[in-house]
Amino acid sequence: MSAGPYNYSYIFKYIIIGDMGVGKSCLLHQFTEKKFMADCPHTIGVEFGTRIIEVSGQKIKLQIWDTAGQERFRAVTRSYYRGAAGALMVYDITRRSTYNHLSSWLTDTRNLTNPSTVIFLIGNKCDLEAQRDVTYEEASKFAEENGLLFVEASAKTGDNVEEAFLETAKKIYQSIQDGRLDLNAAESGVQHKPSQPGRNNLSNDQQANKDNCAC
Amino acid sequence: MADILSETVLPEDLKKFEKIYHQQLYKNDVTPKAQFEYAWCLVRSKYPADIQKGIVLLEELYKTHEEGQRDYLYYLAIGNARLKAYTTALKYVRSFLILEPGNQQVLSLEQNIKKKLEKEGIVGILTAGGVVLAVGAIVGVGMAIAKAK
Repeated sequence: MSAGPYNYSYIFKYIIIGDMGVGKSCLLHQFTEKKFMADCPHTIGVEFGTRIIEVSGQKIKLQIWDTAGQERFRAVTRSYYRGAAGALMVYDITRRSTYNHLSSWLTDTRNLTNPSTVIFLIGNKCDLEAQRDVTYEEASKFAEENGLLFVEASAKTGDNVEEAFLETAKKIYQSIQDGRLDLNAAESGVQHKPSQPGRNNLSNDQQANKDNCAC
Repeated sequence: MADILSETVLPEDLKKFEKIYHQQLYKNDVTPKAQFEYAWCLVRSKYPADIQKGIVLLEELYKTHEEGQRDYLYYLAIGNARLKAYTTALKYVRSFLILEPGNQQVLSLEQNIKKKLEKEGIVGILTAGGVVLAVGAIVGVGMAIAKAK
C-alpha cells in the first residue's frame, strides 16, 4: 500500500433495491467481476460486494449491499437502507409489474435514507428489446418527475452497468465538494479516509491498526 | 459498514423484531416469518449470546419449515462463522452447496469463512514458531558450549 493505511480516500455505501428477478445481483456481479451470471438464484437476505473506483483522481471504495427482492426479506432488508449514499433502484424493462412497483420502492428509499442520497433508476435487461414492456420515454419521464438519474442497462451485455455505478459515485462526490453532504453525519453513507495523520477518527485508527498488524 | 460477517444489527431493529416475536410467542402462535426475522437480527448481533439464540431459532425453523430451508442454512452458516465455529459453519455451507452447487452467494460466503479460518489459523503457526525459537535457543547454547571447549 502507498501513502497511509488505505489505498482509497473515501468509502461510499450503496444499496441495490427492486422487485425480485429484475437482475440486481447480476448487475452487481457484472460490476464487480465483469462477468454475467447466467443462472442466478434468488438472493438470500442481502449480498455484499466491493470495488475501488476513481472519481476526479480520488480512489473511492464502493461498499454495495444487494438486497433480496423477495417479499419475505423486505422487513429486515429495510434496515440496510440507513446510511446509504447511493441507491440503485432496478426494474425489468420486460416486466411491467416491476416498473409499477417503483413508487413503493421509492417511498421506502426516501423514508429510510437522507435527502442527499443519490437515487439512480436502472431499467435492466435492455438487451431483450423484442420483449420490451416499458418504453424508455415513460421511465425517463418518471425519473425526471422524481429527480432520479436514469439509464437503461443490461447486466448480460454489460451495457451501461459501469456507467450507472460510476455516475452515482460522481454525483455523491459532487455533493461532498459542494458541501451538501456532511461527512460527519453518521447517516451520510460516506467515510473519509485521510492519509495525513491526526485527522483520523478513533474507529478509523483502530481499523488501521488491525489492518497493519502482522499478527 | 463492513462485510457480511462483521456488519451488526442496530439495537432498535433487534428490539423491533424481538417484540413481534414475543407477542406471537405469548399467543402461542409464532409464524415462521416472525421467527426468521428475529433470528436473522440475532445472528447479526455483536453479543455471542444473541447469536447463539438466533442459531437455536434457525435450527428449529430448519426442522419445521421446509419452504425456507435454504435461507435457514445460509444464516446458520453466518451465525456459526460469527461465533468462530468455522467447522460447523462450513458444514452448513456444504449442505447448501449439495442442494445448489454453484450458488455464487454461498460460494463467496465459503471463501469468506475460509479466509477467516486461515487468518486466525496464524495463531497456531505462531505457537509453532515459539517451538522453533526454543529449538534455536538450544542449538545456540550447544554452539556456545562447543566454542567454549
